[in-house]
Amino acid sequence: MPVPPLVVVDHLTKRFGGTTAVDDISFAVAPGEIFGFLGPNGAGKTTTIKILTGLLRPTTGRATICGFDITSHPVEAKRLFGYVPDEPALYPKLTALEFLSFVGDMYAMNPARKQARIRELLSLFELRADAGALLESYSHGMRQKVALCAALLHDPKIYFLDEPTVGLDPKSARMLKDIVRALTRAGGAVMMSTHIMEIAESLCDRVAIIDHGRIAAIGTVSELRELRGRDTLEEVFLHLTGGFEDHRIAEIFREPARA
Amino acid sequence: MNQGALAQTWTLSLDLIRFRLLASQRDWTSRTLYVIAALASLVLVLGIFGGTFIGVRALVAAKATGLLGSVAAWAFLVYLFTDLFIAFGQALNDMYLSADMPILLAMPVRAGVLVVAKFVLGVVQNEVYVAVFLLPFVLGYLLALAAPLWAYVVCIAGLALFPAVLYAVLATITIITLRLIPPHFAKEMLWVIGAAVPTAFWLFNFARFAHIEGDINTLHLPTAPEWLPSSWMGSLLSAAGAGEAQTAASWLGFIALITLVACPIGLAIVAGGFVEGWSQATSGRRVAAWSRGAPPSLSPVGAVVWKDVSGVMRSPQLWFNHIASLGFIGYLLVGHQVQSPLLPLTIQLAMLQIGFVAVLDSLNPGMTAISLEHRSIWLLRTAPLTPRQIFAAKIIGAYAQTGAITTVAAVLLGIGYRFSIGGVLALVFFALLMSAAAICYGVEFDARFPSFDWENPNAINRGVRMIMPFLNGLLVLILCGAFLGATRLALRGVWDGGAAVLVGLFWCALVVAWIFVRTSHEAVRNIGALEV
Repeated sequence: MPVPPLVVVDHLTKRFGGTTAVDDISFAVAPGEIFGFLGPNGAGKTTTIKILTGLLRPTTGRATICGFDITSHPVEAKRLFGYVPDEPALYPKLTALEFLSFVGDMYAMNPARKQARIRELLSLFELRADAGALLESYSHGMRQKVALCAALLHDPKIYFLDEPTVGLDPKSARMLKDIVRALTRAGGAVMMSTHIMEIAESLCDRVAIIDHGRIAAIGTVSELRELRGRDTLEEVFLHLTGGFEDHRIAEIFREPARA
Repeated sequence: MNQGALAQTWTLSLDLIRFRLLASQRDWTSRTLYVIAALASLVLVLGIFGGTFIGVRALVAAKATGLLGSVAAWAFLVYLFTDLFIAFGQALNDMYLSADMPILLAMPVRAGVLVVAKFVLGVVQNEVYVAVFLLPFVLGYLLALAAPLWAYVVCIAGLALFPAVLYAVLATITIITLRLIPPHFAKEMLWVIGAAVPTAFWLFNFARFAHIEGDINTLHLPTAPEWLPSSWMGSLLSAAGAGEAQTAASWLGFIALITLVACPIGLAIVAGGFVEGWSQATSGRRVAAWSRGAPPSLSPVGAVVWKDVSGVMRSPQLWFNHIASLGFIGYLLVGHQVQSPLLPLTIQLAMLQIGFVAVLDSLNPGMTAISLEHRSIWLLRTAPLTPRQIFAAKIIGAYAQTGAITTVAAVLLGIGYRFSIGGVLALVFFALLMSAAAICYGVEFDARFPSFDWENPNAINRGVRMIMPFLNGLLVLILCGAFLGATRLALRGVWDGGAAVLVGLFWCALVVAWIFVRTSHEAVRNIGALEV
């Protein structure tokens, strides 16, 4: 019997006034799968993730999380995922410890389990020494780590990670990759957007390339390479989304004329 | 391209002003609301103009030359201390908390140019307040005295320079303080000083005013401190109003000299220390105050309330209206001593007074409850919380603050008025009711028009945003006042007046319960529809 997908996106469209940010896209993410979402800036990646997490409402179409429609059953759906936004805006006047405790309470975690899990995650991300400092004094990378801790805290089945490696040091970025693999091995699903092709190529089971709100290609990395006759995912990406021509770059950044 | 310092200052100042104008235009999506708020501001301007004109005409008719000569300095002093409330925060906002500072500091711009450009931006913003509050006063004063045309020109020129002097002093104090005292402590200290000093000043001077006695022909207000720029402006206006061209010109010359010579020199001296102070203020790990390890485990609603209250406790700039509200009790107590023969003090009158304090105190906590989430709003919207739970948490969080403050204020007022325990309880109950109504309207408004894109929480309610919920709160107070008055007339003498208070409170409670039901329905719907 086939395993039902954890995330289903069905003919999803989002318009902001006259602009169509997401245009009739459909895909599904299965248990144990790392699904990469690639696209140029403004292609519709963040908007799609925001619809899936309930931050935006779709104009048409629907999205379900473990069978719960995010629009009609938001609370049930939200219990099942963790989310790391593209910009880790956290409450500046709370400490990391207070913030994570607050997040645990939002998900009605058992107090003892919550405390143990917070200790575990703070140690893992090497934040214990600064756990009592206000988040307003954290660097971008440290805030990103705290946001990751918050997403992992309640052991959700699904993870939406929007540019999760931005701001992370190489060690933490590597650790994140290992965590993502471990999560999917345990039966969870990860949907992540990234601009780093190496990460998508090495980590994702399947990728979707989105451009101007529409899915331009979807499949495993090798399928996309074969289908488009290109050697790397980067070439596939540039082929589908339109790269910058070499002579234009040379023209703009030409050597200044010597006096 | 290598630009001179003057050209750079000019370009940067113009750009910053233009960006601020654009931002304030783009803040508002509802044109109707903007028009209503603008009309309300116009009514305020006309009210100040008309009130000044009538008041000065009355003084002229009474030949109260002493009062006419001293009232101008005090009017400017009133403005100066009110502006102190706003301008200290503005200096901190524009120079140290502004999001554009890292970009500007990384550009090839001299520190002095940055400080002056930010200073000019602050002055221009203060000019708006001057245009709304002081210009109609000056015009009303001069028109009532049938002053010649030159008097208008001289006074308007002085008025345009006036905020620059004040803002230069505050900017200089801010920059020096952040260099001498550890920046994080200094910032919080300046916020509290900005609220506490004007409040204390008002109380002190109100007490002085309240006990003036004598014939109106010979009366004059106590001498205002001569070293304050407000007194210089007062002297300029008095001289212009009296037709003393030479004296008026001297005062204008003096104000111009201070503004155009002394202020730039002062700013240039402290500008060198600005970059160092900014760097210290924005770096280094900061341990939380009032933190004792992990907080207790709470329900989702309780956790949001705890988070909100912790944020308020750690943000002195959010204490402003609470300090002002408690200060207002002082004015009421002092004012009562001299006004009671004119307007006999009854429990109902005291209830209206404390109701007004409660509405004032509840304005900010209510109408910023959701906007204070700032860019972290994603967290509440992705957490498994229903809109009703978010609404409940926001109402409780805001009410926890204002309920505590208005209870203290009501008890102080009741004790000050020497009411019985029953009277004090009635004041507390009415204050809590009015606070609840104002909070409900505030949260509903904020859920409908949230503002998550701010640099400092005090900026959320800058401008027209605060007018609508304030008017709503005021209307509820008037309605409840009508109920209290009607029951007082209908049940005069029953249980020694106690029945009128109880029945009046009962009706007011019904009104507030209706407001809660209506606004909660709207707010929950808007929170559910919130897209971020």
